[in-house]
Amino acid sequence: MPNWKSAVATSALFVYTFTLAPGALSQQPDKQEAAAAADRGKAAFSQSCGFCHGPDATGARGPDLVRSSLVAHDVKGDLIGPVVREGRPDKGMPPLPLTPEQIADVATFLHARAKEALESSGVPNTYPVEKLLTGNTDKGKAFFEGAGGCKNCHSPTGDLAGVAKKYPPIELQAHMLYPDDKEVPATVTLPTGEQVSGMLAHLDDFVVGLRVGDKTGWYRSFRRKDVKLEIKDPLTAHRELLPKLASADIHNLFAYINTLK
Amino acid sequence: MKSSFAKYKKFLLLMICASVLSAPEAAAQGLDPNALLKPPTDTWPTYNGDYSGRRYSSLDQINSENINSLTLAWVFRTPTHQLKSTPLVVNGIMYFTSPDHVWAIDARFGRQIWHYQRKSEGDHIGNRGVAMYKGNIYVETPDAHLVCLNAKDGTVKWDIVLADEKLGYFATMAPLVVKDHIIAGVSGDVTDIPGFLVSIDPETGKEQWKWFTQPRPGEPGSETWPKDSDAILHGGGMTWMTGTYDPQLNLLYWGTGNPNPVLAGEGRMGDNLFTCTIVALNPDTGKLIWNFQPSPHDVHDWDAVQTPVLFDAGYKGKTRKLLAQASRNGFYFLLDRTTGEHLTTAPFIETTWSSGIDAKGRPAAKPEATPTPDGALVSPGSDGATNWMAPSFDPQTDLFYVNARRLFSIYYNTVDKTKPEGWGGRDRNLWANSTIRALDYRTGKLVWNHELGDGESIAGILTTAGHLLFTADNAGNLLALDPSTGKTLWHLNVGAHLVASPMTYQLGGRQYLIVPIQDTLYAFALPEKL
Repeated sequence: MPNWKSAVATSALFVYTFTLAPGALSQQPDKQEAAAAADRGKAAFSQSCGFCHGPDATGARGPDLVRSSLVAHDVKGDLIGPVVREGRPDKGMPPLPLTPEQIADVATFLHARAKEALESSGVPNTYPVEKLLTGNTDKGKAFFEGAGGCKNCHSPTGDLAGVAKKYPPIELQAHMLYPDDKEVPATVTLPTGEQVSGMLAHLDDFVVGLRVGDKTGWYRSFRRKDVKLEIKDPLTAHRELLPKLASADIHNLFAYINTLK
Repeated sequence: MKSSFAKYKKFLLLMICASVLSAPEAAAQGLDPNALLKPPTDTWPTYNGDYSGRRYSSLDQINSENINSLTLAWVFRTPTHQLKSTPLVVNGIMYFTSPDHVWAIDARFGRQIWHYQRKSEGDHIGNRGVAMYKGNIYVETPDAHLVCLNAKDGTVKWDIVLADEKLGYFATMAPLVVKDHIIAGVSGDVTDIPGFLVSIDPETGKEQWKWFTQPRPGEPGSETWPKDSDAILHGGGMTWMTGTYDPQLNLLYWGTGNPNPVLAGEGRMGDNLFTCTIVALNPDTGKLIWNFQPSPHDVHDWDAVQTPVLFDAGYKGKTRKLLAQASRNGFYFLLDRTTGEHLTTAPFIETTWSSGIDAKGRPAAKPEATPTPDGALVSPGSDGATNWMAPSFDPQTDLFYVNARRLFSIYYNTVDKTKPEGWGGRDRNLWANSTIRALDYRTGKLVWNHELGDGESIAGILTTAGHLLFTADNAGNLLALDPSTGKTLWHLNVGAHLVASPMTYQLGGRQYLIVPIQDTLYAFALPEKL
């Protein structure tokens, strides 16, 4: 990737690492056991505690336990256990007849709920396609061929054939709006009139760097003030479209692009 | 006669020796908080250099005429990831930080005096620097403590808990000294916890007052939260950037963070005061004097913590005490800082989310800009049209400068439960580029624009009386621009990004420009005469 794009790449990286991690970890056996314990805990919680604290622990008559300080400080039920066993008579909470195993499972469930809230600042790559499919395929196709101007550069049987198979749906949507992995062709004209064409490798106000010919070519750099530079950025049309897209355009277009499998 | 003169000379010599010995020692004992009212140019004694937040220095040894002879004076490398702090300089000693670390180094020669390290839990996203009071240095920590160090040797005087790290609090900001108060704020919006500002006794570490960014139920402002819900008690509003202070009005100005849950606002309908708000507080009591809200009912993480910059200047024929903020939502605000009266609202960069300005001067949000399960395309993205990097106001040009980003992002509300908690979604960045913009402070209108290239710049700005504006582009070039026109006067490829804000001071007759680049501090100056 050309380093002139690196600032955006860095910020995107955070989201990728963050969203991929839970999927990777779920393969581990202890994580599987924790998930099973959380499921058992959820059932026990729902039955014994849900009436007051809500079945998902977000609170009802009783307080929200996802945001509870006691749960945040609890380690494997060391604080939750006594509250369950002894109740909080001053606040109207009775003791509850849960076994030590059930209390451990409830603690695991509550910690899992808190973790879920904590990790809600990421959209996983497993985000369900159904949530994204709110548009109309036919209208999306019409936009592709008409007002969107997409067909000026793209073809559903050419560069976009099978594109919906290449990416998870959430990635496909981002890629549809801004496919940030395109090589940028550029031509430099020297004072002698000589022209050098290639793929942009570096660009700032002072220096332009090219891979001569294509991206496998040798690197050459020029002072900007010494040369004339012409850039043919293939993403110009995408950047011009971004501020103009209505919500319906995006979701209709996604419904259509998602059919290109 | 001779002997009496000799005696006198000896006496004089002794006096001189005594004063030479004692004066620097007395000075080296630390920073009198009164010195913050009019900082001498051989210091940079508080996060923004002075209380105004203008990030303007009256130094002009390095200037637009000689900038091309600027040279490297020294380099100080740290074993850390990113230096996001603005160093303090007091009595020839520089103090700066990264999460878990404080360094004291010789401000003329870049040699280490001491290094304090304290391992901690909590978010290590960044640390913006220290505060100084007399012989003490104050630093906030990733586990939301405030630590008081002996400025002489970096030993711990006391260490207090500001907030519970287990609940998701952390701390990054440089505290602010106002008279006998250490004003400290907190960070943390991944869990639904309330933000606050706290005033700490500089000697004992005892709390003097605490002001929560959400009113208690029943207090003024509580009507902007839903009734019969715990939303107001868990509404976020972190105080993670250093505020500013007007000593004549005795008012402390602070920008507050975004409400929680961050992108899923359906459980907190209403304006959600005092989140995403500029507030004026009495620094002795913590009492709220006035407030103005740049982003009512925010659902995009557009906190309003950006520096509330203070200057006195003409507005419609009268000199007024003004406060200006270029806010993360892409709008510039000008207020009367005595009363909080709203004067100007204007976009400082193109955005797509607002349908206009309401009667109070606040931008109104289009309904379609609200994050949805299928994605809402909005500019700016959650990283904001600007962010924590320093803006500047230059009294020589009367221009307000901001690092502005065009940033398109698609926002998802991912909540599938009845009650959103945490962020409740996220946006994905699509495309960004950045510019430095000079604005007419009265109207917010663009005077000049200097493109920084593709990507999200987080480079801060410093202006000086040498008719220079220092910042950096997105390709790793340090820049000195002409503050009147935005034209580049000097540049240097430093090989990495400026992720903090430059600062300057003059010691021993030499002006130093300090620029943190990634993990390294670079000191620039004019060549020394041999």
